[in-house]
Amino acid sequence: MKHTASRLVYTVIVLFVSSVAVFYAIRLSGGDATAAALPGSATEEFREEFRDRLGLNEPIYQQYFTYMGRILSGDPGNSLTNNKALTTMLSEHGRNSLILGGTAFGLVFLVGVPLGIVASLRRNSWADQGIMSMSTVAMAVPNFWLALLAVWLFASRLGWLPSAGCCGPKHLILPAVVLAFEGIALTVRMTRSSMIESQNSDYVRTLRAGGLSEWRITCKHVLRNALIPIISLAGLRIGQIVGYALIVETIFGWPGLGQVLVNAVLRRDYPVAQFFSLVLVALVVVGNWVADTGYTIANPRLRKSS
Amino acid sequence: MSFVESKIGPGESAPGPEKTPVLEIEDLRISIASAGSSFEVVKGVSLTVCENEIVCLVGESGCGKSMTALSVMGLLPRGVARVTEGKINYEGLDLLSLQSRELRRLRAESISMIFQDPITSLDPVFTIGSVLQEVVRSHRNVSRAEAKEIAVRALVQAELPDAADRLDSYPHQLSGGMRQRVMIALAIALDPRVLIADEPTTALDVTVQAQILENLRARQREREMGMLLITHDLAVVASVADRVAVMYAGEIVEEAPVEELFADPQHPYTQGLLRALPDISVSRAGLYSIPGRVPSPQTPPPGCLFAPRCEHVLDSCWEGNPELKREANRSLRCFNPQPFEVR
Ligand SMILES: Nc1ncnc2c1ncn2[C@@H]1O[C@H](COP(=O)(O)OP(=O)(O)OP(=O)(O)O)[C@@H](O)[C@H]1O
Ligand SMILES: [Mg+2]
Repeated sequence: MKHTASRLVYTVIVLFVSSVAVFYAIRLSGGDATAAALPGSATEEFREEFRDRLGLNEPIYQQYFTYMGRILSGDPGNSLTNNKALTTMLSEHGRNSLILGGTAFGLVFLVGVPLGIVASLRRNSWADQGIMSMSTVAMAVPNFWLALLAVWLFASRLGWLPSAGCCGPKHLILPAVVLAFEGIALTVRMTRSSMIESQNSDYVRTLRAGGLSEWRITCKHVLRNALIPIISLAGLRIGQIVGYALIVETIFGWPGLGQVLVNAVLRRDYPVAQFFSLVLVALVVVGNWVADTGYTIANPRLRKSS
Repeated sequence: MSFVESKIGPGESAPGPEKTPVLEIEDLRISIASAGSSFEVVKGVSLTVCENEIVCLVGESGCGKSMTALSVMGLLPRGVARVTEGKINYEGLDLLSLQSRELRRLRAESISMIFQDPITSLDPVFTIGSVLQEVVRSHRNVSRAEAKEIAVRALVQAELPDAADRLDSYPHQLSGGMRQRVMIALAIALDPRVLIADEPTTALDVTVQAQILENLRARQREREMGMLLITHDLAVVASVADRVAVMYAGEIVEEAPVEELFADPQHPYTQGLLRALPDISVSRAGLYSIPGRVPSPQTPPPGCLFAPRCEHVLDSCWEGNPELKREANRSLRCFNPQPFEVR
């Protein structure tokens, strides 16, 4: 439990530091906010007044605290381009992103782990070699290219699936698979090597000496031990999915947080860009914390010792 | 300390002449295939362990002790080592010809093994109680409660402190010595006839070593198990063994009852081992060690395998490897045995 508590403190610190970093980065690189909000004909005076109203002329650290205060009180502001409340946007697009990201995350483990287990149990067989070479290819293929290929093949050529849109199960398949692809490949490889390592460890020899069946040893002891490092890296998979979501959502026209963020950056809608950057960063940090807690539960060595 | 005297009570040790063999290894050969080449690491080992008898197998690191022991359990590392020749008999059963299923049933139930490293030998994610009970229930058709009872009894016998409260402990919550006691409990829980212990105390503190050894010996005596104890510590041999087999480069070079081996070692390698003991060579400046190194199994020397390091080597020793000759209750593999001198 001590481990979990210290992780929580650590998570809060990371959240703070990354929010500062995101805030500064967007403020410093955002260009002139008035360019997006005001027509080109607006006078410099009017622009100045606009900046004043938004608090853009105050010292930047003060802006940060004012801004975080507003977020924490539940009012992060509105979009500059369509004046929609950011909280409304978050609930609409956040739901879509959770569906897509959650499906991809599930696929990473539900497909990756079993394939890795098969490869490890049939080591050097054609199945193993097939799975391993496919995963090598999958890791080498860039995400956007895979997305375009998938659209071309399954939407344009075969016409099985829609090329873009939201939000039925049919629309979900292509973006979710593309989003999960690299994660699946990495999980396959990790599962395989982790299973093999566990398979060769001393305690397996002890269990064999105890007369347990191979099947039992593999399904219970080897697997359970092999899953620990995989769970420990689940946080990385979350980060990867969030990062790739920007590309994949844009290509497939999936109206999630990533798409909103990309559009906001292109339009210099800095309140949106800033807020959704923070949301995504928070998602990754908190996701890592959850994964870490899972790791603690899976690994008795990290639990409170008696 | 003098070795022969340090034996625990003369009366309870040496078993009578009517010993029944429980484990017989005959002309066992084990090959290792690695990186394309294959070489023999066990070269025709024969060894008998009788009921209520402790046989110690000693020899330098790498001479094939563990391979011999693992082959009895059918636990040689897969794809690396395999038995190429020989027989292993357990109470009349030829272990090498058994189906893996049948062999599995004998493990823990009839033949058990304890390994060297208690730190890595226990599954870290399950409690010791659950593993013990799992082993019990995979052999016996008993209820959970009965399995638990058997588990606790085994832990008590292995002298794990607060045994009943330890069932829910994970291995990392126990010290090395306590983990080795758990290994002992796993090995004796089902009351096997043969216990193989591969350097069970090498990884432990000196103080704990003696207790663990004492415990093993006590369990062996009360259950009249046949025990094969692998060690390279001659002090251990002196305190617990009934018979000793000395192994060198994959062969047994000398075998004798423990008193006779210490009183009258005949093979120059055995003599070298005894001379290398600190308390025999105290009078001399520094410690004695046998000159030279163990020949690599890939490139064995011609003739006697010990010839390159032997102080009594004759020309004929280079021409052929001597046979293991049996004489009364001991055997010896040497062309030119000389009386032992402590120098
Ligand atoms: N997995 C392996 N791959 C290749 N060679 C091996 C392997 N395991 C053991 N060997 C070789 O087999 C020989 C016998 O090994 P074994 O483990 O039986 O020695 P040992 O007498 O038990 O030594 P120790 O006292 O160090 O435990 C050694 O020369 C070793 O190098
Ligand atoms: Mg060994």
